[in-house]
Amino acid sequence: MTTTLAIRGVTKQFGHGATSVEAVRGVGLSVESGEVLLIMGPSGSGKSTLLSIMGALLRPTAGTVTLNGVAISQLPERDLPPVRLREFGFVFQDFNLLAALSALENVALVAELAGTARAEALRRAGELLTELGLAERVAFLPDQLSGGEKQRVAIARALINDPSVILADEPTANLDSSNGHEIMRTLRAVAKERGRSVVIVSHDQRIRDIADRVVWLEDGQLRDLMTMAVDPVCGMSVEHDRAVTLEQGGELRFFCSRGCRAEFLGELDGPAETRPARTGPLASLFQAVRPKTP
Amino acid sequence: MTAARLALRSLARHPVRLAASVAGIALALTLTLALDAIYTGVANGLTAYIDHTGADVWVSQAGVRNLHMVASWLPDTVVDQVRAVPGVTDATPILYSTDTVAAGDDRGVAYVIGLPPGAPVGGPWSVVDGTGQPTAGGVVVDAAFARRAGVSVGGQATVMGRSARIVGLTEGTGSLVNSVAFVPFADFRAARGGAPVVSFVLVRVAPGAAPEAVASAIEAKVPGVTAMTGSAFSAGERRLVMDMSADVIAIMDGIGFIVALVVVALTLYIAVHGSRHELAVLKAIGARNRVLYATVLAQSAVSVAAGVAVAVGITAALAVVVPRTGVALEPALTLASVARTAAVGGAVALIAGVLPIRDVAHVDPLTAFRRGGAPA
Ligand SMILES: Nc1ncnc2c1ncn2[C@@H]1O[C@H](COP(=O)(O)OP(=O)(O)OP(=O)(O)O)[C@@H](O)[C@H]1O
Ligand SMILES: [Mg+2]
Repeated sequence: MTTTLAIRGVTKQFGHGATSVEAVRGVGLSVESGEVLLIMGPSGSGKSTLLSIMGALLRPTAGTVTLNGVAISQLPERDLPPVRLREFGFVFQDFNLLAALSALENVALVAELAGTARAEALRRAGELLTELGLAERVAFLPDQLSGGEKQRVAIARALINDPSVILADEPTANLDSSNGHEIMRTLRAVAKERGRSVVIVSHDQRIRDIADRVVWLEDGQLRDLMTMAVDPVCGMSVEHDRAVTLEQGGELRFFCSRGCRAEFLGELDGPAETRPARTGPLASLFQAVRPKTP
Repeated sequence: MTAARLALRSLARHPVRLAASVAGIALALTLTLALDAIYTGVANGLTAYIDHTGADVWVSQAGVRNLHMVASWLPDTVVDQVRAVPGVTDATPILYSTDTVAAGDDRGVAYVIGLPPGAPVGGPWSVVDGTGQPTAGGVVVDAAFARRAGVSVGGQATVMGRSARIVGLTEGTGSLVNSVAFVPFADFRAARGGAPVVSFVLVRVAPGAAPEAVASAIEAKVPGVTAMTGSAFSAGERRLVMDMSADVIAIMDGIGFIVALVVVALTLYIAVHGSRHELAVLKAIGARNRVLYATVLAQSAVSVAAGVAVAVGITAALAVVVPRTGVALEPALTLASVARTAAVGGAVALIAGVLPIRDVAHVDPLTAFRRGGAPA
């Protein structure tokens, strides 16, 4: 596998002086073709900012972004639209389809913007939508599609110009669990069958199942994954140092709050004993963050 | 091409907004177009006699270049002198005066023409009742005037201060401001004291002869006259009206322009602000700013083009409907007027389309990642 997209020492500062925010601080990362990278982290930790920098939508304050050997963070603004158009495919939480265009046209438009003739663009769009199981929906307007269908249209749109990297920000956040699963499988297939790099930002624990690698962003910095765990009740990622814990049957569990722990205990319907976090086995924790072998 | 399609789709998505904007533009432009059509109709009425009377060249007292509100007096002898000029087939003297014609309860301004018997030109061109050739003590009046006055052939009318019997009714001789009445040459001369003068000499030229050349020849050979081709004489007459109306039309154009501009600029502003999220998405995907500018400009152009078309349609309909209401006015929509309105529309579309460019340029593609944009 070859490294497609690499970022090195990337920092992003918004604003100046007292009100300035360092949304991303010295992050280095790379993603290979055929790989699904999941970026997780609490709200406001800089995930979307990092993804925007990776996708050449935002210029880092410091550091470099290299795509297929080209330092795109160094390119002048006028050279960036074609890079976004041809090298990246974006998938958004809100789907962001153009409401006035049919599913087919939404997908074809992106090819047309890249200079493909309309007839060819429509043909390719139709093909892609068919592959994604939307053959019956091509003529529908976004308003007439379910959330899962919209997101599949968005994935087709992201794919039509054959980009190197797919960047998805919370692609399943607006979907129910079965549609969410569907989208995750689709994104994984995109990486595996088409050899694309897929970078997903998500809170969604379920996405771990399809990720080849998970990184944790907090306060704009990548954190050691070993210190993270998953609240079994609400599914939130919690830092092991700060978690509310519960040891039960020799197993240590981590919760985001006392409320979740109480709920967990209620569900189990039995007494339990709590202990401070720093002791006990970390088996569940390791399991939660173990990268899948591709 | 892509931009144009995007523009059309965006417009089609908000039909009410589009309709309101098109209606606003159309209204603003119809004001000018209709006014222009009315003035043109009036001018057509004023020049109807010149345009239809059949003279190739008009010979008048030196310096007289109009019919309206001027007097032209030439000695009788001029007629033969004109007749002798090479290229002249026939020369018909007429007497002319702006006077009033009264009949029944109606009274109106009229071009009164004193017509010699058997005149080959200078007479009415569309007779609907009776004769076109007034006989002693008779008068031929405009049919619409007669209808309003409630008189017909055989009735009485007062013209040049004398009572005359209506012997014929003609069509196309009336306008909002005046009509044309024909009396015998001799009656006219008698009413004016019998002086041996004529007002104009109407000339027909030999087949193949150029009216311009004959007019020049007349001016060269006959002293004390001005000779103009029928079309030049008509154009001068028309200019009289159009010069008066030009300022009003220009002001209305200005008002139409401003109103249309405000309407288009406002609807585009709303459209651009309403679609900021979609613009952000397009930018994030990699659409260049100029594609987005083109989309906005195309929306502007389409709205304005529709507005212009509706305005032209309304005015054309008025031109058909107004004369049927009995008003002695035929508003006339000219190509020049449509072209001018289209030019005003073009300027509106361009300016309104360019105004939101800053807004479009400032749309941050990153907002595509934020919630709050209408999820679609
Ligand atoms: N344009 C901006 N100007 C100023 N601050 C910004 C801007 N964009 C992001 N930030 C700040 O940077 C930090 C990281 O924001 P970002 O949107 O990347 O977080 P996130 O991890 O994606 O959060 P969430 O999970 O809620 O989407 C936040 O503190 C945010 O307020
Ligand atoms: Mg985010």
